Amino acid sequence: MVSPYYILTIGLGLAFLLGLLGKKLSKVNIAVIMLAMISFAAISASWVWQFAFGNAEESLFFSAGFEPPFSIALKLGFQEAIIAFMVNIMGLFSTLFLWKKLHKENDKLAPVLLVLFMGLNMLILTRDLFNIFVFLEITAIALGGLILLDERKHAASAGFKYLLASSLISAVYLLGAVLVYFSTGSLYIDDLILGGPVAGPMAGIAVFLTIIAIVLELKPFPANGWALDVYQGAHPAIAAIISAGVGTAMLFVLHKLMIISGPMMAQMITVAGLLTFLFSNWLGISQRDSNRLLGYSSIGQLGLIMAIIGMQDILGDQFAFIAMGILLSHFFAKAGLFWISGIVGGSKLESFAVLRSRPLLLLMFGIFLFALSAFPPFPSFYAKWDLIFALSDAKQYLFITLILFGSFFEVVYLIRWFGIVVKNTSEEVKEKLPVNITQIIPISVFAAALLFFGYYGQHFMNVPINLNYIPLIAVAALWILDFLPTWVKNTLLIVATLFYGYIILPQLHDFAFIFAIIFLLGAFLTLLFGYSYKGKRPGFYPLVAMMFAGLILLVEAKDLFSFFFAWEIMTAGSYFLILRGKKSQPHAFSYMLFSFGGALLILAGFALAHSVTGSYTFDALTMVGALSPLVFIMLAIGFLTKTAAIGLHIWLPGAHSEAESDVSPMVSGILLKAGVYGLLILFMRMGHQFVLGLDLMVVLSWVAVITSIGGYLLASVQEDMKRLLAYSSVGQLGIILFGLTLMSNLGWLLAIAGVITHFLNKTLLFQAVGGVYSRTHDRTMYRMGGLIHRMPITFIFVLIGIISMSGVPPLVGFAGKWLSFNAVLSKGYYLQGVGMVLAGAIAFLYLFRLIHVPFLGQLKDHLRKVKEASFWILLPQIIILMIIMAFSALPGVLLEPIGSAVGKIFPTGGLTWQDSFLPFGSRTAISEYGYWNGTYVMVITMIIFAVLLGFQMLIQRRNKKVGQFNIVYSAERPSTPETTHAGYHFYAHYQKAVGFLIAPLATNFWNWVSDIVQSIANQIRRIYNGNGQVYLIHLVIYFLICFFIFNGGL
Amino acid sequence: MGEKILFALISLFLTINYGFLMNGVIRKIYARVGRRHGIPFYQMYIDLIKTLALRTNIRHGTMFYLGPVFRFAGGVGLFLFTPVVFGSAMFGNLSFSGDVLLLLSFQFFGTLGMALGAGESGHPNAAIGVTRGLAQMTAVEVPFVLALMGVAIQYDSLSLHDIVAAQQGGIMHWTLFTNPFIVAAGMLALLGSFMRPPFDVVLAGQEIPIGPPTEYHSNYMALMLSNRAIFPMAKAILFMNLFFGGANTYWEMMIKTFAVVMWSVFVGVSFPRFRVEQSIRWFLRVPLILGILGIVYVQFFMS
Repeated sequence: MVSPYYILTIGLGLAFLLGLLGKKLSKVNIAVIMLAMISFAAISASWVWQFAFGNAEESLFFSAGFEPPFSIALKLGFQEAIIAFMVNIMGLFSTLFLWKKLHKENDKLAPVLLVLFMGLNMLILTRDLFNIFVFLEITAIALGGLILLDERKHAASAGFKYLLASSLISAVYLLGAVLVYFSTGSLYIDDLILGGPVAGPMAGIAVFLTIIAIVLELKPFPANGWALDVYQGAHPAIAAIISAGVGTAMLFVLHKLMIISGPMMAQMITVAGLLTFLFSNWLGISQRDSNRLLGYSSIGQLGLIMAIIGMQDILGDQFAFIAMGILLSHFFAKAGLFWISGIVGGSKLESFAVLRSRPLLLLMFGIFLFALSAFPPFPSFYAKWDLIFALSDAKQYLFITLILFGSFFEVVYLIRWFGIVVKNTSEEVKEKLPVNITQIIPISVFAAALLFFGYYGQHFMNVPINLNYIPLIAVAALWILDFLPTWVKNTLLIVATLFYGYIILPQLHDFAFIFAIIFLLGAFLTLLFGYSYKGKRPGFYPLVAMMFAGLILLVEAKDLFSFFFAWEIMTAGSYFLILRGKKSQPHAFSYMLFSFGGALLILAGFALAHSVTGSYTFDALTMVGALSPLVFIMLAIGFLTKTAAIGLHIWLPGAHSEAESDVSPMVSGILLKAGVYGLLILFMRMGHQFVLGLDLMVVLSWVAVITSIGGYLLASVQEDMKRLLAYSSVGQLGIILFGLTLMSNLGWLLAIAGVITHFLNKTLLFQAVGGVYSRTHDRTMYRMGGLIHRMPITFIFVLIGIISMSGVPPLVGFAGKWLSFNAVLSKGYYLQGVGMVLAGAIAFLYLFRLIHVPFLGQLKDHLRKVKEASFWILLPQIIILMIIMAFSALPGVLLEPIGSAVGKIFPTGGLTWQDSFLPFGSRTAISEYGYWNGTYVMVITMIIFAVLLGFQMLIQRRNKKVGQFNIVYSAERPSTPETTHAGYHFYAHYQKAVGFLIAPLATNFWNWVSDIVQSIANQIRRIYNGNGQVYLIHLVIYFLICFFIFNGGL
Repeated sequence: MGEKILFALISLFLTINYGFLMNGVIRKIYARVGRRHGIPFYQMYIDLIKTLALRTNIRHGTMFYLGPVFRFAGGVGLFLFTPVVFGSAMFGNLSFSGDVLLLLSFQFFGTLGMALGAGESGHPNAAIGVTRGLAQMTAVEVPFVLALMGVAIQYDSLSLHDIVAAQQGGIMHWTLFTNPFIVAAGMLALLGSFMRPPFDVVLAGQEIPIGPPTEYHSNYMALMLSNRAIFPMAKAILFMNLFFGGANTYWEMMIKTFAVVMWSVFVGVSFPRFRVEQSIRWFLRVPLILGILGIVYVQFFMS
């Protein structure tokens, strides 16, 4: 193996040489530095290669033939090789990124940069406590120099604060090293290990001082004000080095020193790290300066890894994977983000909107943010999964809670930032952002590395991996083919969907099969709508593919991990899709917050279930014991965020209504069913759970009732037709939830049939409304009117949609009503049943409004030239219409297969089917209480209708159509449609009667929570007052508190 | 099957005539209470002929044209799905199609079609009437469904045939006496469903002259008049079957439904009109409580 001393020699030698000959060599200076960095990287790469693929063994290097403690003792193992390689890669790409700047200021910056990375290498490799001190000093001075040498406004004060803090930390460390030597007679780490735990009168304090110094170097909360100012004041490329390079090296030093620490110290590091992770992310929420925000995030991530280092005994074999997973994500993402910040130049979050002029850069920005947020397929996702599972197995529930809250806060500001950048309308992007190749290469390499390690990393997980990558390959392929026109991509995706359905459907059974049909058919129907769009719709198809890939992977999942993986892919895909809407940014953000919060609960719930049963499949949920109600609640809330149960619904109306016309049916008609699927799996395995003797299923049934009534009431007071439909989805998902909570054959039949009919009805209605929007460019209903005269076909679709949805016979919606009543009776949930009936009655209100206000009444002047929606918008609606009519005429076709799937879980209490005297397989459904034959009802109704219509046509042979204003109107002839059309505030009287029921309690509650969270953060943030002396005092106080805790003084 | 259809048509013909005559009597009662002489009891036939004979018919559009067809089809359908006389082949109608839940939901078929037709007329009063009707209906449904549920629990069935069968054997077997709470709730709900005062805000003759049907005339009106003869009858038969032991003969049905309808007429002539929000609140108070009491009664005292 190449000796690590080469790095020392090259670094120091060249730095001195350049210092001496700087000006004479100025032309080739950078090239020399670059070569040096390449040599660092190459040397460390060769180590990694030899350890990974050769048969290299761990080796020790002693300088000049001296034995420790008199030599610079270096140890080179696999760990050292990897960390050194990471740091050197950082060095190499930082130099490349700073190429232009170095050109300008090479005599000052370049040698310092080289010394810094040399120092970091040595910090990683050395095994000598004193050497660590020396290289700490070298790196501190070099870094201080790099910060100070910049011309930015706050660089000088940042550099000064950095030097102040690091000299204090170094002093503490030195004291510790001296005391270690005093206690043991050696500074060589391996000697200290061999001699057993460090002993002697001062030993405890000695170990404490050395380790606390490194902890302080890792910027623990709240003694990290100096570091925030440094991140904010330094050049972003230098901040990247501090965060990714120096941070990584320091973490490794800590890891190295953990060998000499005891369990008490480990625990303290864990707590310090977790508090840092939590609070740093919490305080980051209100941050508006991009570099400082990244500073908060860096500190938080370093804190988390610090805690993981402290917990390595708990984590056992998975420690290395977990630590590396999170470290790699942090390393690549943070460097990438700081670099992007360097390109953008501004420090406001909004100034990053300029990235929109560079789609590739924007894509990488997204990759970095989502990697930090621990979304799949990035390494942090896998690592966090393992981390939570390991902690759960070790019953460290407090730690899990801290991590989950910290992760949530982190997502709050990262995703908000992403939303602002992609969609903020206040920032106009006029010019293309100037970039050069030396800046793009490092960012691209790091983004690619994240994807690579994401794919590679999963193989090291502690769970049996059973992921199907085929749908994800479709996503990647569509990214590559994004330059093609819409119709080509649309066709490709439709073909891919149908083909995948052809392959996958035979492998699925029962509920998975039913949901797969919904997802695949849904994809097909909603994609047909896509042909109505012209141009290229850049970025749309990969996102659609991503969401549907997530959905289909969800039903394919047979174990907890695959399920969660699919869940997160689907969440991310749908978030991006929703974000595409014109004014959807705040709504997409709130969708993401609820989804992510829900996902964290699901993750924790799975982990707890696993810790009890030891299983990684869904069987883990069959757990029993004291924890099972808790797990049930966590998972139920997690899934209910997706189905938008009341209280957790506030994201839905905005997200569904502001999305694009063809995205709304995707997210409303189809995506919501993912939550139902989750609930199905949960209820199937955990069944009834009790808290204080209270059946949680009963509680949920009431939640469902309130959700339905609330959703429908809110739908009936909307003026925006898409918001109306969105609230209607809230209500309908309430009915589906209600069916599930009945935990009976008929209840589940109701729920699953409801899932299918809701999918059909809502897709139909959202597409019809999308068609109206495509012609009128308006969603506010009272501004329309009389559209039946201009868009008669769309009117028919809406008519069928609302009749089917309202549950009026002879259409299939009645099946839901009939089933719900029967199910309620057999279960004995009478009062909930009445609530459901009330909800059903309220549904008439908004459904009538939806059809009356835009389509009936007076045609408005500005709509006189509106045309019928285009063929491609109508086509999927025709198909849905045919399906609805078929199910209506032969409800058995829908209900019997569902019944057989449900019968496997609830064998008794189902429907029996009796042949009737009509052909085509018409059968009468018979329940315990009643009976119903949909075909009879359909045929009889149609005959009556046809006879009466024939009679009317006979009588009114000379019927004439009259003009618009030809009405009986108090002897006046109105001429203004606006004043003759009843549409605005349609149910004023109803609001007067029961308006108190729709006070925005949930919104107020969540606003209150958000205010509290932000207020606390703002109060705490006041300790960071920008004064270097105060920051020093923070360090001292932090040190003292830790000292007292460590010595049992507190 | 052909026999069943024939019987159903006979039953329809008889009942629609009964409905016409009853409506004439009701208008007569209204007039007498208002100290007017009133129309002859056969006025409905005259109206029917007159409206059918009108030569001017216009339409505002297709939905407007179809509205009354929907309405009457809804009324006829509701009637045909209802068993009129217990155990009678002739008056069993086509009730094999579905149980009482079908009736509960099917009554909205005509209402919805009519509402849409009226909506297309472009007359604001039509829409106002419909919104009032729908809003009131949401509240009326609650006590009615409670009552229905009480009946279903009590007799363990949703089939009207079984419900009536369970009430045979004497007047004391009627739901009216076995569970007066749910009957009270149901009969109060009936007032809202029949849309006589104080719940006649949908047609509100004074403020929004006749609401949804404002624009309808000629043959449309004829269909609606016919519907007004059959639709309330179907509902009255439903109430009779649920609460008053059903009917063993057609005559018994006539008497009982007459009583049921008169209940709404007597209340109607005695009270002024509620505003929508008032009637909503009203239905969600006493009738709701009675309904819940009925359910509690049936669950805890009858099982």
